[in-house]
Amino acid sequence: MNAPDQARDKDVASFRTRLFTAMMIIVAALTILGLYLAQRKVAADAERNLQENFQAELSSLHELEQLRHATLADRCNALAAKSRIHAAIEDNAIDLLYPSANDELRDLMEGEEPPPEQAAQSLHATFYRFLDDTGAVLKPPNPKEVGQLGRKAEAQLSLTKLPETQQIGYVQENAGTHGGGVAEVLAVPIFSTDTGDVISALVVGFKPFQPRQTDAGVEMKSGIWVNGQLHLPSLPKSEEASLSEKIATAVRQLPDRAENNFRVNIDGAPQLLFYKRLNPGSLFPPAYEICVYPLADSKAQLQRLRWQIGGAGALLLLGGFVASHLVALTFSAPVKKLALDSEQNRAQRQRAEAALATTADELERSTRYSADASHQLKSPVTVLRVGIESLLGREDFKPEIYEELSGLLHQTHRLTGVIDDLLLLSRMDAGHLQIASTPVNLSQLIDEWLDDLGALPDSPDVKIDKEFPVGLYVAGERQYTSLIVQNLLENARKYNRPGGRIRVSAHANAAEVVLTIGNTSRTIPPGENIFERFHHNSTPSAASGHGIGLNLARELARLHGGELRLVRSENDWTEFEVRFPAADGVNPVA
Amino acid sequence: MRLRGLLWCSAILPLLPVALSASATVEGRVELPKSHSAPVQAKRYQIVTKGGVLSTQPPLAVVYLDGSFPQPVSLPMKQVTQKNLTFVPALLPVRVGTKVEFPSLDDTYHNIFSYSPAKRFDLGRYRPDERPIPSQVFDKPGLVTLRCDIHEHMRGLILVLNTPYFMMTDTSGHFRLSGLPAGHYTLKAWIDSTTTREKPVDLKNGQTLNVDFP
Repeated sequence: MNAPDQARDKDVASFRTRLFTAMMIIVAALTILGLYLAQRKVAADAERNLQENFQAELSSLHELEQLRHATLADRCNALAAKSRIHAAIEDNAIDLLYPSANDELRDLMEGEEPPPEQAAQSLHATFYRFLDDTGAVLKPPNPKEVGQLGRKAEAQLSLTKLPETQQIGYVQENAGTHGGGVAEVLAVPIFSTDTGDVISALVVGFKPFQPRQTDAGVEMKSGIWVNGQLHLPSLPKSEEASLSEKIATAVRQLPDRAENNFRVNIDGAPQLLFYKRLNPGSLFPPAYEICVYPLADSKAQLQRLRWQIGGAGALLLLGGFVASHLVALTFSAPVKKLALDSEQNRAQRQRAEAALATTADELERSTRYSADASHQLKSPVTVLRVGIESLLGREDFKPEIYEELSGLLHQTHRLTGVIDDLLLLSRMDAGHLQIASTPVNLSQLIDEWLDDLGALPDSPDVKIDKEFPVGLYVAGERQYTSLIVQNLLENARKYNRPGGRIRVSAHANAAEVVLTIGNTSRTIPPGENIFERFHHNSTPSAASGHGIGLNLARELARLHGGELRLVRSENDWTEFEVRFPAADGVNPVA
Repeated sequence: MRLRGLLWCSAILPLLPVALSASATVEGRVELPKSHSAPVQAKRYQIVTKGGVLSTQPPLAVVYLDGSFPQPVSLPMKQVTQKNLTFVPALLPVRVGTKVEFPSLDDTYHNIFSYSPAKRFDLGRYRPDERPIPSQVFDKPGLVTLRCDIHEHMRGLILVLNTPYFMMTDTSGHFRLSGLPAGHYTLKAWIDSTTTREKPVDLKNGQTLNVDFP
């Protein structure tokens, strides 16, 4: 493998690496985003599930309360309607209140205490008390009959005033000591049938509601927080106390929030704690239902999900790797090809440039050579001509020798002309020829050349038509303009036939002067490049030239910013056209 | 009925000589609370409770001469009848030691009881044909609220007084107590369960004193 191939492969490899890196970043970002979203969703779902569970718990609690309330309200209304109760209260016979009510409430207190799991369903009261008109508890004469209660617990039943509606409260049965139970109490107003006023209130105590064990598989602990103390029997004492503090803080911070939740750590395990006010608006101290749910399940679920998404991300990454590999291959093939192509192009170009340089060198060399050669030729020809002229000057030769000599002299003149032409051409080829543009009187130039033409000794018998105005000026250098005209006119004479015609016409338009020189002659076959340097006629004839004239004339015309072309060659008529740039503003426009 | 009539006679006879020989009289008017209900027959009145205060409707007052008087050996029996689920009379002033019978004229059970400090009793459930007619002796002065355990709305009042000199005013508040002993006494007017007005009176034999309770 050569160096460019290696470099190319390296490029392709780096392209592939970049592509893969980009894909990897995208996949990684997507995976992280997915993880984040999933985590949030799981956490939210778990919380919502627990919340629903909590609400269900509360609603079952609520249902039971409703049942109790309705039953008790009925009972109390009936009780209040009793004459004896009225009599006892209104006639200041408080001592008779409890005995009077005893009969009425007997069924409430009677019977075996139901097992704990059924306590909630029964209306089995554990105690009852009456409140006097100030809301204070009326001392029962025989506490055994109305359910015994500690002094502190009994004190908690007192209200600041008699309630107008049912009030729910929670009292600690053994206040101040841990493990003491909480009793749910219901205070029901007793209205006087005479006045409609609240004359007393009946406070009935129940065993606190024991939340049923949920069948949803959620391991939950529930309890009651009242008077700054938490009663959550399934919790160790120390945890109970610290949790109680936290709830107190939460409740204190948001006293208006009837319910809320927050995360806690119990025994080092994360838990979600819900609390909800059980007796909103009650005259009794606020009590809260507390439910604690372990978050282990949702944590495990989250962990599982993390693994799943992580795995999916890894798979995606792997897939991305393969895909990027394939894509890179697919993409890199054209890139590779492109690189190859450009490599080939470069080589080609280099070769072409080298060839061009060689050609240019050769061209320059040949130009220099022809220029040198022309110079080298010019001196001997001059020597030759001067020699022949001096020979012609002698008078001791036979007449036929003079003829011979004059012929030779003519040939040296032709040779000089050819060499001059070659010199001019080589100067043009070398780019050394500069045109000093001045207005040149083309009309005058043509006339002069036509005169010369007529004076030539070997002039054939041709008729010359002139169709051009006097004073046509072109922009150019007189010497070269003249050379063009001379070349064309000489050709028109040289290639004419006896008794033929030459027509020279010229006119000027806005930007240029157009000179047309036509003559009767043999037709130039199409495809024959008569403007080629050293061109030779396909059909040999006596009038063949050295093959530089037309080429030189065209080069000169182009050097002037004009053009020389063969307009037509048919039916015994050949016509050339030269366009010169017109001299500014001096020509009569046709 | 004949027996009851005889009893009546024996109760009144011992009083007559006092009343005839030397006696004073008090008459006047008790300003009674305005009655908001339409006037009804004077004899038909009932006990109403307003803000925990028991009074008669239409308003009546009991005027009595407070003092220390010798207790007689026997006192005439009085009756409070249950009729149409009401007590008749709704307000009965009696002298301490009076025995009151509670005959029932309704064709239903009644259970008359009282938790009043002046007299606690419970006659239990009985029908009209219950014999002997359930009765109670009221031996402590004060207001006794009569109730029926079965008919919660029923209310009756028995005003147990320490004096033999008392009477109920008419519906306009007029009263006239005659045959009163001379001396310094306090004349009282019971208006409702929480309102009793009083005025000191100086009674002289053969004199008629005019006392108004504003």
